[in-house]
Amino acid sequence: MLRMEIALFLVLAFVAYIYFSAEKEQAVLHRTFAGLLVTALAHMVLDGITVYTVHHLETVPRFLNDAVHRLFLGSMVLVIYLFYQYIAILVEEETGKSRRLDWPARIFLVIAEMGNFLLPISYTVTPEGNYSSGPYMLVPYGAVAFYLLLCAGLLAVNRKQIDKKKKSVIGIALAIEFIVCVLQGLRHTWLISGMGITLMTLSFYLTLENPEALRSELMEQKMSMLYLKSQVNPHFLYNTLDTIRIQAQLNGDTKVADLLMRLVDFFRLSVKVDRPMVTLDDEMELLEAYTELMCYRYPELCCEYDIDPDLGGAQVPNFILQPIVENSLLHGLKNKGYRGRVTISAQRVGDGEMEICVRDTGGGFSSDVKAGIDEMLHSYAKQPPKLSGNSIGILNVQKRVKLLCGREYGLSYTENEAGGVTAHILLPLKEETK
Amino acid sequence: MKKLRVLLVDDEIMIREGFKRLFDWDAHDCEVVGEAADGMEALAKIDSLQPDIAIMDINIPIMNGLKVIQMSRLKHPDTAFVIVSGYDDFSYCREALRLQITDYILKPVNYEEFGTCIDNLKIALFQRQASQQDLFQEERAIHGLTRYLQEHLAEEISLSVLAEQFHLSAQYISQLFKSEIGVNFLAYLTNIRMERAKKLLLTTSLPIAQVSEQSGYGDYRVFTKVFKKSEGITPSQYRRDFLEKE
Repeated sequence: MLRMEIALFLVLAFVAYIYFSAEKEQAVLHRTFAGLLVTALAHMVLDGITVYTVHHLETVPRFLNDAVHRLFLGSMVLVIYLFYQYIAILVEEETGKSRRLDWPARIFLVIAEMGNFLLPISYTVTPEGNYSSGPYMLVPYGAVAFYLLLCAGLLAVNRKQIDKKKKSVIGIALAIEFIVCVLQGLRHTWLISGMGITLMTLSFYLTLENPEALRSELMEQKMSMLYLKSQVNPHFLYNTLDTIRIQAQLNGDTKVADLLMRLVDFFRLSVKVDRPMVTLDDEMELLEAYTELMCYRYPELCCEYDIDPDLGGAQVPNFILQPIVENSLLHGLKNKGYRGRVTISAQRVGDGEMEICVRDTGGGFSSDVKAGIDEMLHSYAKQPPKLSGNSIGILNVQKRVKLLCGREYGLSYTENEAGGVTAHILLPLKEETK
Repeated sequence: MKKLRVLLVDDEIMIREGFKRLFDWDAHDCEVVGEAADGMEALAKIDSLQPDIAIMDINIPIMNGLKVIQMSRLKHPDTAFVIVSGYDDFSYCREALRLQITDYILKPVNYEEFGTCIDNLKIALFQRQASQQDLFQEERAIHGLTRYLQEHLAEEISLSVLAEQFHLSAQYISQLFKSEIGVNFLAYLTNIRMERAKKLLLTTSLPIAQVSEQSGYGDYRVFTKVFKKSEGITPSQYRRDFLEKE
């Protein structure tokens, strides 16, 4: 029989290893689960020990046997109590109703543990195997039944508000534990309570607490934050800006009105497009709004375009030009006091390809920077995803071009003879695919 | 030519004020005769004021702008509806086109470009009248001029070319356009060139450069710029958008 306990212990230990080595949020729910895992592990150890000692009643001293049995049942009550806690917190999170049954649950825990440690214990010897018996186990088993009923009650009362997946997980775990308890009650010599606890823990781990599930939940939260930031606010923002623009114009301030107009254009365009690929025309429209604003701010800055008009319908990855031009302005022209020119051109090259060039008359690269950027663009795949920093814009462009168009396309930089640098984006020439 | 009467419909007072005071209505022979802030008010004002032009926001309280147009269309077939909206998505555009609105412009409204919209409206009005009158009345000078323009718009045309052709003074022709149609000569010429370009873009698969040439623009860069200013999108976008809707 000891083999099963060892196997169950190893399973739980493996789960605990993965669980504790993964990064996760330290919410109340997860702390409870961590406590549950540790207690369940201790319980499995005690389970193994009692299975051994109860079958060696003659060699193991009586007081030692009593002690491990009392500890074993005590840990079982604690595990089931933590199960109840876990489910109660889960239900609270789902429904928003506060937990009202905590006090009776705790009082019952104390009573069960006291009964477990104080009431007399005895052992029954049968041909199929030995087991502990006597009044000491009545209270703990009563507590287990009590907690299982509480959980089932919680689930039944709140069944409408709980997410379907979580509902089925809790239901299945409870059913397993219930069946195991009934079997254990009918066949005292089977000693399978540890199996029920392991299976329950495992079902929670696999569905609710494994790192993948937690990570995707976190991602979802982040995405919805992004969504809020990028979709809802800009609509409000550009409507309000437009009202301010009209007021400015009514006050006779055409300059401010013009600036606001371009800003509204920029916001409107950046909110509108949410597809991975857009036409070059769309991309140029956004870029023009951006460059016009920058040229307003820095009057000695000048932007020129030379776009083959038949390329207007060509598909390009969304939002690749603005970051490149911004990069040219911030790293090339800023240190020259924003005096200079940026030329954006697009033309057919070779067979079925096109090249977009962003050429500036800025300060150019210092020697080590050029090598660093070349290296970064070359080994783009190995670069950790950055959320801030200097080259995040161009690295992002490189990654998206490679991903959406293929590895043979992408971004590279060359130095101009007359000073400044040119960014080259090589892209496949694709018309709209329908 | 009598002044065109305009009704402004928008729930934001600032937008109405902007239209009222920042656009030179006088210079375009128009006057704002009323305002409405919601759908019901708009319906009532259209009935009572019978405006020539209704400038409508879509997203207004009580009843949306498209519904207002739909309900007024039958009773007031001659009213021109211009939609002004921040909702630049296709579903609205498509529904608006089905209601045969005259024009669709996006917020933020550029008041200079709005003049082009009014000019186009007048030209459409003139062309409709011309097609009805041709059968009954003796031809007027302006109709000869516009027919000539229509036939020769791919060529270099200017007031002086017209003057020579029709043995009239350039100044007289210019006044004729202003008094008969209500727009200046250049606006009229640009309008019919754009109409030709749009027709070519949609009915042929000619490259943009050739469309440009056949619409009277030797340089496609100039053509693209003018087209974008008048339609809000580039020629190739225009062609694609139409194909998408099919």
